[in-house]
Amino acid sequence: MRLLLVEDDRLLAEGLASQLEKAGFSVDVTGTAKEAMLLGVQEDYRAAVLDLGLPDGNGLDVLRKWRRDNANFAVLILTARGDWQDKVSGLKAGADDYLAKPFQAEELIARLSAIVRRSEGRVLSSVKAGHFELDENRQCLKIDGGTEHSLTGTEFRLLRCLMSHPGHIFSKEQLMEQLYNLNESPNENVIEAYIRRLRKLVGPETIETRRGQGYLFNDAV
Amino acid sequence: MKRGAVRGIYSMTLFRKLVSIKGTLLTLLLPAGIGLMAIAWLIHGSLLERMSREFVESRLKDEVAFLELNIRQADGKIDMLKTGDYFEKVFHHAFAIQSPDQTNISPLSWQPLLMPLLQFDGDESVRVQDATIASAPSDILAYRKSFVVNGVPIKVIVSEDMGALKNSQAELHAWTAIVSILLVFLLVGVIWFGINLSMRPVVSLQAALKRLQSGEISRIDAEAPEEFRPLVLQLNQLLDSLDQRLERSREALANLSHSVKTPIAAVRQVLDDTSRPLDNSVRHEMGSRLGDIDRQLEAEMRRSRFAGPQIGKSAYPVKQARDLLWMLGRLYPEKSFELSTSLTDEFRWPIEEHDLNEILGNLLDNAGKWSAECVELSLEQRNGLAQIVVTDDGSGVSENDQVHLGQRGRRLDEQTPGHGLGLAIVREIVARYEGETSFSNGSKGGLKVLVEVSI
Repeated sequence: MRLLLVEDDRLLAEGLASQLEKAGFSVDVTGTAKEAMLLGVQEDYRAAVLDLGLPDGNGLDVLRKWRRDNANFAVLILTARGDWQDKVSGLKAGADDYLAKPFQAEELIARLSAIVRRSEGRVLSSVKAGHFELDENRQCLKIDGGTEHSLTGTEFRLLRCLMSHPGHIFSKEQLMEQLYNLNESPNENVIEAYIRRLRKLVGPETIETRRGQGYLFNDAV
Repeated sequence: MKRGAVRGIYSMTLFRKLVSIKGTLLTLLLPAGIGLMAIAWLIHGSLLERMSREFVESRLKDEVAFLELNIRQADGKIDMLKTGDYFEKVFHHAFAIQSPDQTNISPLSWQPLLMPLLQFDGDESVRVQDATIASAPSDILAYRKSFVVNGVPIKVIVSEDMGALKNSQAELHAWTAIVSILLVFLLVGVIWFGINLSMRPVVSLQAALKRLQSGEISRIDAEAPEEFRPLVLQLNQLLDSLDQRLERSREALANLSHSVKTPIAAVRQVLDDTSRPLDNSVRHEMGSRLGDIDRQLEAEMRRSRFAGPQIGKSAYPVKQARDLLWMLGRLYPEKSFELSTSLTDEFRWPIEEHDLNEILGNLLDNAGKWSAECVELSLEQRNGLAQIVVTDDGSGVSENDQVHLGQRGRRLDEQTPGHGLGLAIVREIVARYEGETSFSNGSKGGLKVLVEVSI
């Protein structure tokens, strides 16, 4: 299983590479952002371990470039700053997981295996309807013109349900099946609250209410 | 704080360009005062002119009426009237009387001036200015009246030399100007006095600032006028928080160096000793020492990153929560992270952005680790309280153990990776905002964490 290790600290890179090889990966090591960008696009890797602080650039830029060029291998980012905002921007840029330095090699390998397994069956799957595209892997909504909204689990499931059959009327009971929350008895008000929130993202006309019947996704808007 | 910076803050908050309040008041009030005086003087001049003209005109009218009466009494016979300088002596005015066959003008030297006026009809007053006739005045006001006595049309003109009047009028106007200028000087004095008097507290404030810069005092205690009191208060609060921060970071650094240097010394000792073999137990020992260093560093660094309540800092709770929920949803793909809130995306809380991220991130991450399927975050604001509730559906924590949650150095479970610092950090940040963190059991058996911060 080919793996790209991007880490500029030579001592750490050497140690990690040998541990990863012991775990069954065949490892390429680079210490610069420039080379990482090239390798990630040219070679066919299954996974990458990416350090964010590189001498000639930001690891996030490398990641964005990979994702832009459709390099879809699993990526685990290493960061020295355990900031939540850093983690959010890392995942937004397309990472699958992050690990804060210092870490144990066993944990790195466990996390890597998990994200490789997760990305295994992953195909480029998205649901398109009208101006909207739902990215199933990243659980986010892309709108024509490039804006991207991240969704919570239920928002995503409701939208996927509605968008997979544009024009089809879904009753509140049907939509309720997509719902998962901590309420003992989820009621129809919860659905209404979610629909209100989704309408804020896609526009009020895109999700239509049919009185007494339910909701439908209008892809003609 | 450097002197330049203080001055910069002053000039920016009080005025855009001008340097001092005194200067501004003077540049505003002085031209305004002078301008108003000048306008008053000009109005005075034109009023004086109009008044004197009206006065002279009414007198001329009276005299014409008197002459008309005389002529009517003489049945229109003009030569029957007392001529010569009789009227001039009585009224000090020149006059002209014209009937179809006779014209009387007195004094004669005014003839060239009055003759042209006799050629018109109609009752009106006429002003002749800039006439150039020798031995006659250059500026006169005349009143002309036409009437008929016994079928004979008669015109009468009485006129006055305005020159003399004008001279005395100019004199009066000049005196007014002098008085005005004196008043302007008085005004300047009063303004200057007023400014100085009202600026006195500011001057003492300025002096206090100087003493603050030179270190003579540590807080401003000067009597500030009401308008400046909030400024002084905020400045003092800022100084307080700077002091606290300095103290905290010193303390943190002292703790850190104490707890970090010893393990470093130990590890180096082992590495330097070439005669000592690096067997597994030594390696393990060294590894755990390095682990200690990392834990200490992490804890102190996180703590030093907390901002605490700060003026002018706020965060968008809903936006930040959405990002974090999405991220955790990616990290735990088999679990669902849900948001329930009635706040809008643009809603703000006066909590520093990084601090709020730490609170939400640690609570959600912790709940994510323990939950079976679902974590719910609720953000609400009620009665001036910001409420953050994180509920999970995991196995929960028994009520006896809940007391220990978030206490430093306590971990209820050693199997989940992480330092167990998360809840302790949340507690610490919330305490900085003088808020409350409380734990209870969720409706489905998991843990429910409630954070309340008054805002």
